[in-house]
Amino acid sequence: MTALLEIEDLALSYGAVPAVDGVSLAIEPGELRVILGANGAGKTTIIKAILGLKRPRRGTIRYDGEHDLAALKPHQIHALGIAWVPEGRQLWHTMTVFDNLRMGAFQSKDHAAVARRIEEMFVRFPRLRERRDQLAGSLSGGEQQMVAIARALVSGPRLLLMDEPSLGLAPIVVRDVFALAREINDMGIAILMVEQNARQALKVADAAYLLETGHIVDQGPADEIARRDSVKAVFLGGAA
Amino acid sequence: MDLLLQQICNGLVIGSTYAVVALGFALAFSVLRVVHFAHPDIFMVGMFSGLVAANYWPGLGLIIAIAAGAAGAGALGYFAERTIIGPLRGRDILTTLIGTLGLSIVLQNGMALLVGPDPVAYPTLVPARFIDIGPVMLTLRQIVNLGLSALLLVLVSVFVRFTRTGRAARAIAERPDVAAAFGVDVARICQITIVFASTLAGVAAVSVGSLYGSASAFVGLLYGLKAFTCMLVAGNRHIEGVVAVAIGLGIIEALVTGYVSSSMKDAAAFVVLIAVLYVRPNGMFGSYAT
Repeated sequence: MTALLEIEDLALSYGAVPAVDGVSLAIEPGELRVILGANGAGKTTIIKAILGLKRPRRGTIRYDGEHDLAALKPHQIHALGIAWVPEGRQLWHTMTVFDNLRMGAFQSKDHAAVARRIEEMFVRFPRLRERRDQLAGSLSGGEQQMVAIARALVSGPRLLLMDEPSLGLAPIVVRDVFALAREINDMGIAILMVEQNARQALKVADAAYLLETGHIVDQGPADEIARRDSVKAVFLGGAA
Repeated sequence: MDLLLQQICNGLVIGSTYAVVALGFALAFSVLRVVHFAHPDIFMVGMFSGLVAANYWPGLGLIIAIAAGAAGAGALGYFAERTIIGPLRGRDILTTLIGTLGLSIVLQNGMALLVGPDPVAYPTLVPARFIDIGPVMLTLRQIVNLGLSALLLVLVSVFVRFTRTGRAARAIAERPDVAAAFGVDVARICQITIVFASTLAGVAAVSVGSLYGSASAFVGLLYGLKAFTCMLVAGNRHIEGVVAVAIGLGIIEALVTGYVSSSMKDAAAFVVLIAVLYVRPNGMFGSYAT
């Protein structure tokens, strides 16, 4: 099977400071993979490179075998079926919940399909239907995360990038978010997740990468990674 | 009492024009993160485009002048976006500020080279007629200016609130990266925003030329400074806020002119605006984070 997304020898830096250096990873259609790492390991930078929001200094990002994402603009990348649940939700706080959802499929010419998917989201998240015409900024953290996930799904993506979906949420909501990720993945949407909550993420992921200061230090099936010492080392410091 | 009402109406007329120019600044600043110092000079070029067209086809008057003002300013806005603002957008805010300031200087002095540095007479587009409305008396030109400005302000409101492009512009204003990642062609929306604001400024400029009966290569300085200050005082987040402050400024000016002296009006207006900024540095109605 050809990989849906294949990153090779990716390097990015902020000014002179390297953020990611020589990262290679891949995800196949329908898989759920997670990149684990502490703050500042370079997880969000990888996500931004895939989205075209940050240009790589080196390396390739192949999508669907034929598209070189590093040469495309963000809106072109979105059109290929890549959607994003950003770190900290990043909703449009001055827009209503409904407008946030509509903006999720801004490019789509198939208005009927968009309306159908928004309706599906309202069925899946009845709370959002109640909040439909409220400003997104007035919602609770958990509700905002629902909007962020729904916004990413209304375009009908093939690959979902989830950047720290558990960040800043109450523990009970965190469990819901990971269960939801599993559910979305079961619908056939591939997910590349970036997380610090290793225990929860490894429960739902198929495979995991451990990222430390811009390098991948270990990788493997999620259940194996969960048993290795390397995962502790990544979060507690010290050699893996 | 009659003087008070009269001056409030006079202030409303000119304040509505400040509002149109100020919204151009606000759109450029909130959507593109650009301090668009050439915007008032695009307004000025619109004024002269209308003048040339009205002199060329004297019979058609106001309509052809407005069309030419809109076209001239819109085309210049497009050119400015393609050559200066677009390529520099996304860099340090000072970079675009210097770029647009440079364009502003070129436009002002280029026009002064063409038409001379002194004000030139504007063709008569609206008959000089006085109209009594209860206790106040307005000229037909004032009423036309107020009507046109109101129409332009409604257009901005409709654009921002109800069109797909306007929704995208708001999305960029609040979170440019997220908008791009969700399929908004940011460069294109920025282009449309600048052309839209420029076109409206062109229409307002023709109306102002007709109102005062003169046009000058340096008219942008006056309107630019006031409109820019209005945007800062109101904040760039709510267009109604910008409009309210601009009209308030026009009314303060008119009241000072009526009760004190016209030479004091600019000083008085700016004292009030600076006082507001002192208390609310982010503007009265809030601004987008930059």
